[in-house]
Amino acid sequence: MKKKWSKLLNLYLASFALGMIFLVLINYMMNVTSTNEFCESCHVHPQATQSWKLGSHVYNPSGVMVNCVDCHLPPSGIERFSAKVSTGLRDAYGYIFKDSSDFNWVEKSSREFAKHHVYKAACLRCHQNLFPPQLSKKGEDAHLYYDQKPDELRCINCHLESGHYHEAKDDIIDKRISNMEIYTSAAIVDSFTNFSETIPGSRVDFKMIAIPGGTFKIGSSVNDEFFSKNESPQVEIKINKFWMGQIEVTWDEYSAFIRVTGKEGRTEDQVEKINKKNNIDAITGPTPFYGNPGQGWGKGKRPAITMTHYGAQKYCEWLSIKTGKTYRLPTEAEWEYACRANSEGAYFFEGEPSDYTSIGFWNSIFGADTSVISSYVIYKENSKNKTAIPDAINDNPFGLKNMLGNVREFCSDYFSDDIYNKYSKETEIINPTGPASGKDFVIRGGSFKSDASELRIAKREYSKEDAWRLTDPQIPKSIWWYSDCNDVGFRVVCETN
Amino acid sequence: MSNEFNRRKFIGVGTVAAAGLMIGCNSKGGKTRSMESINFLDQAPDGKELKAGLIGCGGRGTGAAINFLDAGPNLKIHALGDVFQDRIDSCNKRLNEQKEVTVPKENCFTGFDAFEKVIDSGVDIIILATPPHFRPEHFAAAIEARKNVFMEKPVAVDPVGARSIIASSKKAEALGLVVGTGTQRRHQRDYVATFKEIYEGKIGELVSANCYWNGSQLWYRTPKKKWSEMEYMIRDWVNWAWLSGDHIVEQHVHNIDVINWFTEKHPTKAVGFGSRQRRITGDQFDNFSVDFVYDNGMHVHSMCRQIDGCVNNVSEFVMGTEGSSNCRNEIYDSKNNVVWKYKYPPKEDGSEGERVKVSPYVQEHIDLVKAIRENKPYVEAENTAISTMCAIMGRMSSYTGKEVTWDEVMNSDLKLGPDKYALSKVDIPKSIPEPGEGK
Repeated sequence: MKKKWSKLLNLYLASFALGMIFLVLINYMMNVTSTNEFCESCHVHPQATQSWKLGSHVYNPSGVMVNCVDCHLPPSGIERFSAKVSTGLRDAYGYIFKDSSDFNWVEKSSREFAKHHVYKAACLRCHQNLFPPQLSKKGEDAHLYYDQKPDELRCINCHLESGHYHEAKDDIIDKRISNMEIYTSAAIVDSFTNFSETIPGSRVDFKMIAIPGGTFKIGSSVNDEFFSKNESPQVEIKINKFWMGQIEVTWDEYSAFIRVTGKEGRTEDQVEKINKKNNIDAITGPTPFYGNPGQGWGKGKRPAITMTHYGAQKYCEWLSIKTGKTYRLPTEAEWEYACRANSEGAYFFEGEPSDYTSIGFWNSIFGADTSVISSYVIYKENSKNKTAIPDAINDNPFGLKNMLGNVREFCSDYFSDDIYNKYSKETEIINPTGPASGKDFVIRGGSFKSDASELRIAKREYSKEDAWRLTDPQIPKSIWWYSDCNDVGFRVVCETN
Repeated sequence: MSNEFNRRKFIGVGTVAAAGLMIGCNSKGGKTRSMESINFLDQAPDGKELKAGLIGCGGRGTGAAINFLDAGPNLKIHALGDVFQDRIDSCNKRLNEQKEVTVPKENCFTGFDAFEKVIDSGVDIIILATPPHFRPEHFAAAIEARKNVFMEKPVAVDPVGARSIIASSKKAEALGLVVGTGTQRRHQRDYVATFKEIYEGKIGELVSANCYWNGSQLWYRTPKKKWSEMEYMIRDWVNWAWLSGDHIVEQHVHNIDVINWFTEKHPTKAVGFGSRQRRITGDQFDNFSVDFVYDNGMHVHSMCRQIDGCVNNVSEFVMGTEGSSNCRNEIYDSKNNVVWKYKYPPKEDGSEGERVKVSPYVQEHIDLVKAIRENKPYVEAENTAISTMCAIMGRMSSYTGKEVTWDEVMNSDLKLGPDKYALSKVDIPKSIPEPGEGK
């Protein structure tokens, strides 16, 4: 009897000891595999290690250092363990089968990608007090907003740069053009041909293409690939001649506007009041932007982005005053007419969406031959997820570049799902301007983020005035800059008198 | 601050008992919830001397100072601050008459920056009782200096101010400070006992509510030649929206706060109207009627009036699925029979009493001192800022004739009053709001 007891006791003690050893081992493994050095043994990205060291999580007055796993793993519990296992497997696979020099690091450090490997719970584990001393007024407002809607935002929506520091590369005054001639007058145009506009008082010029008048059929038909109901019914529309910018408005052009007009004016009322005082001989321009509107991709001849529809309109007004011509945003009909350039298919070049899209079994496995589309547009497959300088892109038949790609473009019309239906009830449609009122504006063309199926000429989209200002911490939110949209810009048209 | 945001805090009566309130389960699951009875003290416990500095030495400020001194042993009014010397003199005189206390000259400060000097004068507690316009700035400074605070309601007159209070309140919580806010119904024993009954499900789920502050005209001042416009406005402050927030904010916030407390949430939108019939000075209305709507579709009607010679009513009312209550001392069944009554202590002659044992104006200071001395901090400022914001939402709707939502006020940049304070002309628009269009 006594023997049996001691046997049981031994068994019990042995299994307890084993369990303890197991736990200690697990803990040891968790620790060993959580050092920065261990992370770096697979993650070959010296630039990330360097930008981490420059960031405020290492280089700070308190001397506290925050390490890889503190942000890139859930803070505790089974989530931490399972995330560790799954990311470990993925990283090992990547280490063996992929070449880290092929990775698009710019893309991977964007907000959309970063949110997949930075955990909110990890931020909040250390940052428990969201109202610390020395918090700025803007910070207070932003954290109060977060406090109201914690599910809407993640910490890195606003604090993207706090883990890895990237020096802002975007000077608003571009040194590259500072040696060039300063124009003293606008272009003089006496015939309906292409011309180069010169903005007086700046070093900026840009090319305007003469678009002849004509008629075309707007929209797409039910039988077309990727047809959407708001593109129908197709309606014949007459358009008078006009000029259109050869390329989307560049940072050079938009910066010239900011440089001379940037003022206080956070609400539309204030802006209009200041402009009235100035007798409209000048336009009040954008307030300083929040964040980095150029996204760190460089500016210059890249299309200007993140300005609001209001900011785009104000630019046109300013340009009109500067040049004595009438510049404005294109109407939706003008845009589609200019893009089609007398073509009637899905694109103004050869091919159908199904030939180029990476959606679908065949193309997603075997890839598609995209040499034609790639020569005409900057889109998902050739953009590396950022905007591009448009020089290398082929013109459409009218001579316009990147109508379908690089950035999506604002039109002047309010968006309405059934506007073509309304047009179809009229006997003749000439130069239509869309619904009289609304909230969101029409956006046309695809962007560097779009799949080929989204580049169809007929495709219609609209601005999202609320969602695109989500993380703007200012109250009221900026009327000039979208905090959460980086793939929309615009193109100007010039009216003929 | 989602609707769940501070459920616990809304329930809290702001006393230390708040932490013990969430015992039990939510009644929605079919189970009843229960709440511990709050053990109110008649006097604050003794401890090391606590020195208070009073900022704003008018009638209510002086009253608050006396209530503070009445709260318990070893409490002292150490410093006084006001824009005007005569207010300090009258405050000192009343303190002397009623409490045999005089604050020495070197601890009395005048001018718009008096608050900074009071905060720096070596005090433990700051009492803020200026016109509410100044509250956010003063509160932020007091919290920055790590002082416990008692401040009168309302805590702001505009959304910018109310947000500032919420931010400072969060800082106060992180610092472990104690902040009471003059919403004394939350410290009134009959109200708290009634709340406990309703919280525990005595009238079922709440489905609607009403609240009223229909009272007489308050006071006003006529301008004097020797006064600048600023001095006049401050002396006449209950009639100016930038100083008081208008009476829906300044006075009626009490009742709106009770409804927020009992419903454990705040409205998400408001449609209101109001007008000015008999007010003599200033730019305010003298009556408001507001329909507050909650996220669950519940409606709360709020009305307030400051006109003499009309029927008066200052109270609240909540309707539940199984009964109703006046929130103060009685609960009724669905046929309006009284089914529960708060038991007041009997009068001296043994007859049935009508008053709580300790005045809520003193009780709130007892609770404050107790929290400091027992090191069980609480901060009421956020709740009061939210109730203030609700009143502001009602005012904004009444002034404009438009529906105003919670999201709109929480994100509004409306800031009333001048940017700088000086005893001179006040450069702000002074028109009475005219909602709507037409002749």
